[in-house]
This record gives sequence, C-alpha cells and structure tokens, in this order.
Amino acid sequence: MSHPSRSGYWVLIVLALAVLVPLFSLLTQGNSSDVVGLNFWQSHYLRQVLFFSLWQAFLSAGLSIALALLVARAFAHHGAFPFRSLLLRLFGLPLVVPSIVAVMGVVSIYGSNGWIPLGRSLYGLNGILLAHVFFNMPLAVRLLLPVWQSIPPHHWQMSEQLGLNRWQQWRHLEWQALRESLPGISLLIFMLCLTSFAVVLTLGGGPKSTTLEVAIYQSLRFDFDPHQAVSLALLQLGLCLLVAWGSSLFHKLPDVEISLSNTPLNTGIVGRYMNTFVITAAVIFVGMPLIAMVIDAFNNSILTVLSNPGLWLSAGLTLLIGISASTLSVLAGWLLLSTSTDYAMLGKKRKASVIEMLGSVVYVVPPLVIGTGLFVLLAPHINVFEWAIPVVILINAIMGLPFVVRTLGPAMRQSKMRYQHLCENLALTKWQRFKTVDWPLLRKSVGLSSALVAAMAMGDLGVIALFGTPEIITLPLMLYHQLSAYLIPNAAVTAVFLLGFCLSVFWLLEKLIGGKTNAEY
Amino acid sequence: MSTIYKISAAILLSAVVSSSCMAAKPTLTVYTYDSFTSDWGPGPKVKMAFEETCECNLSLVGLEDGVSLLNRLKLEGKNTKADVLLGIDTNLTADARASGLFSEHQLTVTNSSLPNAWNDDTFLPYDYGYFAFVYNMELLKNPPTSLKELVEDANGPTILIQDPRTSTPGLGFMLWVKKVYGDKSDEAWEKLSKRIVTVSKGWSEAYGLFLKGEADMVLSYTTSPAYHIIAEEDKRFAAAEFSEGHYQQIEVAGLVAASQQQGLGKKFLAFMQGEKFQNIIPTTNWMYPAALDRASLPEGFKGLVEPSIALLFSDSDIANNRKKWVGEWLEVMSK
Repeated sequence: MSHPSRSGYWVLIVLALAVLVPLFSLLTQGNSSDVVGLNFWQSHYLRQVLFFSLWQAFLSAGLSIALALLVARAFAHHGAFPFRSLLLRLFGLPLVVPSIVAVMGVVSIYGSNGWIPLGRSLYGLNGILLAHVFFNMPLAVRLLLPVWQSIPPHHWQMSEQLGLNRWQQWRHLEWQALRESLPGISLLIFMLCLTSFAVVLTLGGGPKSTTLEVAIYQSLRFDFDPHQAVSLALLQLGLCLLVAWGSSLFHKLPDVEISLSNTPLNTGIVGRYMNTFVITAAVIFVGMPLIAMVIDAFNNSILTVLSNPGLWLSAGLTLLIGISASTLSVLAGWLLLSTSTDYAMLGKKRKASVIEMLGSVVYVVPPLVIGTGLFVLLAPHINVFEWAIPVVILINAIMGLPFVVRTLGPAMRQSKMRYQHLCENLALTKWQRFKTVDWPLLRKSVGLSSALVAAMAMGDLGVIALFGTPEIITLPLMLYHQLSAYLIPNAAVTAVFLLGFCLSVFWLLEKLIGGKTNAEY
Repeated sequence: MSTIYKISAAILLSAVVSSSCMAAKPTLTVYTYDSFTSDWGPGPKVKMAFEETCECNLSLVGLEDGVSLLNRLKLEGKNTKADVLLGIDTNLTADARASGLFSEHQLTVTNSSLPNAWNDDTFLPYDYGYFAFVYNMELLKNPPTSLKELVEDANGPTILIQDPRTSTPGLGFMLWVKKVYGDKSDEAWEKLSKRIVTVSKGWSEAYGLFLKGEADMVLSYTTSPAYHIIAEEDKRFAAAEFSEGHYQQIEVAGLVAASQQQGLGKKFLAFMQGEKFQNIIPTTNWMYPAALDRASLPEGFKGLVEPSIALLFSDSDIANNRKKWVGEWLEVMSK
C-alpha cells in the first residue's frame, strides 16, 4: 500500500469547519467589557471550577472503567450466562436516558425514601460518582467486551498448557489485548463525565460542584458574554487534548495478528461463581434505577400520554433525527478510520492515533456553543426554522463520532491487518473488497456503532430547544414540557416510552446491520 | 422506513398549508418560552382565542426560557422575525430596554391587578407570582413563618433551591435574601447552606426531588399548591408565608421595534391585557393574571397564601448589580 486513504483528512477538515467556524463567529457577537475574560481567569471561583471538573471526571471515569473491566471480563468468561445478550443490550440504555430522568431514577434508589437510602450524603461527590458510573460503566462494558473476543483461541489454549493462573492470564493475555482500546475508551468516558451538566449540578449539592460546562452555559446564557463562553470552550477543548495526549502515551497498538473468531473460554468452578456474582451485581446496579423508572410510570396517566397523537408524531421525528445522525456519523467515522488504519498499517501508529483523537475530542465543545455559533452564522441568510432539523442532525452526528471511532476503529484495524496483503495480491477493486472482505467482517461493529449513536441522538435534548421551531417537538423535549407543567406522572410515562423506543431501535439496528454471526457481544 | 416518509410528508404538508394561509392573512410572530407554547401551557388556547378576532395567524415560537428569549433577540438584531416578545420578567427589562430593540407600547393599563402601580412605557405585564417555599402539610407541621426563621433555625427544615445562574426562581430567591439581609446576605447564605440539600439547574429538577421526599421544602411559587388542588385534587401542599414579605416576579411582553406589524402587535398586547387571555393564565401558567379581578380566579386559587408585602428591586438596580451579587453568592456557596 503506497497511498494511505485521504478521506480522513476531509472528514477532519469538515469537522473543523463545522466546529471552529461557528465558535469564532460567536466572537463577532456581544460587547464583552473584558475581552479575554481576564477577570474571570483570576478568580478563585474559576480555579475551583477547573479543579473540580477535572477531579470529578478523573474519578468518575476511573471508577467506571475499573468496574467495567471486572464486568466485561466476567461476561467474556461466562458465555452461557442466562439472557446474556438481552442484558448486554440493556447496558446500552443508561446512555440514552435524559439526564434529569436518570437523576430521578438514581434518587428513587438512593434518596431519603429510596430502596437503599443514603440520605444527605447522596448529594455531593457520592451522588455524582454514582450517577456517572450508572451512565458510563455499562457503555464501557459494551466497548470493552469485543477486546476479549479478539484474543485468539490458541493463545488461551497455550496459556492453559503453560499452566498460567488467572492473574497470569490477565497480565499476559487480556491486559496486552486491552492496551489497544483502553486509552481510547477511557478518554471517551472521561469526556462524557467532563461535560456532564445537569447530573453534576443536581446531585452535586451546590455551586461547589460546578463544572466548566456549567460555567460555559452561564457565560453564554446568563451573562450573554460570547467571548468568555468561547474562551472557556477552547479551554475545555485544550484540556481534553492534553488528557488525550497523556492517555496516548499508554496507547499501544497490538503487534500480533488478531483473531476475530469466538470460542467459549474454560473457567474453573470458582471462576464461574465469581463471574456469576459480578454479573449479577452489575445487572442489579444498572437495573434498579431503570426498574424504578418503570414503576413510576405505572400511574393513571398512562392512557392519557399514550393516546396523545403528539407523542407518536414526536416519536417519528425523534427516530428521523436518530437514524440520520447515526448514518452521517458512521459514514464520517468510516472515512476517518480508513485513513487512520492505513497509517497504522504503514507503521505510523502515532499519526493514526492523532487522527482518531482529533475526530473524537470535538465532543467536548458544548453543543450549545456550536449551535449558537451556527445560528449567528446562518440566521442572516436562511430561515433558521426550516434548518433546525438538519442542524440538530449535524450536531448529533459530530457528538456521535467518538462512539464510532471507539466501536469501529479496532475492528477495522484488525480486518486490515489480516487481509490487507491478501486483497492487494488479489488486486480486488474497492467495491469488491468492501463487499467480500470489509462488510462481512465489520458489519457487527457498524451495527453497534449505529445503534449507539442513534440511541444517543434520540435521547438528547440537545440544541433543538435553541431554535424554538414550532411543531418540532422531540420526545425528550416533550418530556421537559411535561415536567415544567407540573405533569410529573405524565413525564414518567413519557420517559419509559422513550426508553422502550430507544431499546427497540437499538435492538433493530444491531440486528439489521449486524446480521447473524456466531459472536454475540 | 415508511413512517419516516409519512412524517416528512406530514411536515411538508403542514408547511404548505400554513404558507398558503399566510398568503391570505398576516402572521404575527411571538417569541416566548416553551412551557408557554407547550400543549399544557397557555399557548394553544391563546392562539385560538386571538385568531378568532384578529384576522391573522398567530405563530408562537417557544425558546427555552426568558433569558434565551432576550439573547435570541440580541443575536438576531434588526433581522429578527419576532413582532412581539412575551415572557421576560422584570429582572431582565432594564437590560432589554437598553438593547434598543423594543418600541413603546403606547397603551394605558386600566385593569391592573398587580399590588403596585405599573409605570413602564416599553413593557406590559401579563402575569405575576410570588416565590415561596412549598411543603407537605402532613410531613412538616411547623413551617417557618419568616425568612429569618428559615435562615437562623439550625434545626429548621431542609430545602431544595435552584441555581440563580440557570433558573428564574433561583435568581428570585437570591434577590429575596438580598432584600431582607442586604449587606449581611453572605452570613445568611452561610447559615442556610447547611440545610440546602441541593441547588438544581432548573425548577423541574428541584420540584421533582421534593415530590420524591428529598427535602422538607422546595423553592417554588405561592400558586404551586393551586395546581395540586385543581388538577390533582390533592390538598396536602401549601406555601409557607413569610412575615418579611415575598419576592415578586412579574412577567411582561413588549413590541419589537424592527417589526413591520406594529399595529397588529399592539392589538396583541391589548388582547393580552383583556379578559380572555387573562382567564387562560391561572390554570395553564399557574400564576396570577396581571389584569383580572380576584373574584374571577378559579376556586383553587382562593385559599392560597397572599403576601401582604411584595418585595421587588427596580430593574435598573438588578441590571447594575446582578453580576456582582451572583458572584458574591458563588463565593460564599463554594466555600
């Protein structure tokens, strides 16, 4: 292979245009007395916000990843666990729960009148960590599990012949395989926790627990100081790049050829009990708040909510946004990864991971900032009401990109490693290659990433509220309308409807795109 | 896939239908907050009532809240599509007036039911309310009777409040404390903070947590119990009356200067002060109408706490001090 694909650069250019141009167009707005927010930088408050944002994000991400490693390992070693694939699909759900609903679910369990009351100590770092682990641990499990599938069966056989114990197996086999994915997945979870807003503010107990995301929202919305908002958004982006760079130092692309087959692993009887215990505990932890939401939804407004035609229209619109964003995101991700994996094949691993990282970090530029910037840019030229849906789709697609990079990236790299030379020797055309080699191998990962991005976009309140277009009401927006009209029982029904709807779409996309394979993950 | 086509067809069709109507009648565009336009807010009824008389289409555009309304108008400047802006409160009117984006309404207020006289040439009120702490009478037997008691009693009830940076009631309560404690507000917040369970982003989160039993009281409005009485026939909730008086919120609307429909806009503002509009407000926005006799209020509003003293800073005081006061609040609450 002499010429690595250039498509990834195009994606990066479009991405930069879609994020940075709106960002800088915001600078033409407002008359900030304090151009670069100098007073703000010097304040004790900002230093505290910075410290707290990073601290809670590190802790939340660390805890989520550590627990996810345990759970993913248990799932990997226990291929016959009852309802395994259903449970794993359930693990895609916390991601789509609008944060206010998740907060209520967490409070139903751990609040003063909850099943496991923690009382006042829930509010503060405890509550933030609980909610973030609830959100992110299941996602991390889904992202980590394929790593176990990638360990060639003969390695396990060898390890047994050598008489390695569980710890040695972990160190020599599993950890080595994980080193490729772990930094990227950790970075993704870190970004999710860093930009968390309503969870932190509501469960944090007060402005002590303010994140940068809140400060950005404050300066754009409350103070209408676009200069400060842009400076803070760039600061958040910069911090994330720094963390990404740091995590890339631990990044190691695998040198060995990797298998894509799946063989059930043998574990002793003790291991079996351990795995059963870990999986059960994780399912209870993730399931409880979800069950509490379902219980809340059993009230006498079920019929009122479900018989409202507006609900079904909103569901259709939500689906349209979810599917379009996911298609766009997967397409962009595919092009980006084509380039990065080509570089990886050429031995330019550093370059490969930089491209992937650049595609991911834009996630931390708050959608409110991008949305407002796009608004400033577009409003003079077009009727923004007509363009609200495309803009929402575009922003959701950008926000979905890091998920695609994480789910599709490793699989694509593995397939290239195995078949690149073969394809070149056979002189397959691009289309032949896509049809006979890439698609069959990658459709499972494509299915997972489409499902994740679609579900995430569907659960996102996002920037739709920013445009205020009449007649465009997504399900999360309807949920918020009900909450602000005191209709809390109705909102509970809508929330569960949204959950069920997302779960069905998730399941359908994974099945339709992923197709039937022997590997269930 | 066919659902998607149907929906896009429905959207297209509605666009065609509405644009064909537009050709015949003028359209008045009103920017407001989205709980006003939602199915459960005053919006749908107001639209129907106004369109019966105006020979026009009323297009209600719902944005997140009052703050985003004004920001949006500033972003759009002279190119705005808005003819009327409805839904900012007196905390924002000075700022809004200074933007130069509004024209004077030239109407006289005849039937004001506000506790104080209204003298504003730019904005007209449509409803108002008082902030208050709402509690469950079965669970809290002796609610505090003054703000001082709430603040000073170390064994007093736990409370849920909203963040003044992101929420209107949150800002209202901060101003309430300022009004009562003045320069000593910092000390008051320090004492109170021990019993604040959490400070939420918006009203919905705090109220939801309160209904789940996370704290004894929640910052809301004196009119909140009316919702439970009227819509749910639940009489357990009440607002605690404080002897220092309650901080007031007055919601207003104004004419956008760049609008080509000044006449129709004025007609809407006059309609807004009229009986039809005013009668819609109590059970959809759950506030007091700004120009309606007390006798015309629904039954459920009649037993509510009516503060004898309405506390309010002038809008210019707020414009000059809000940033500073919020900064002080942040410093003391972040300790």
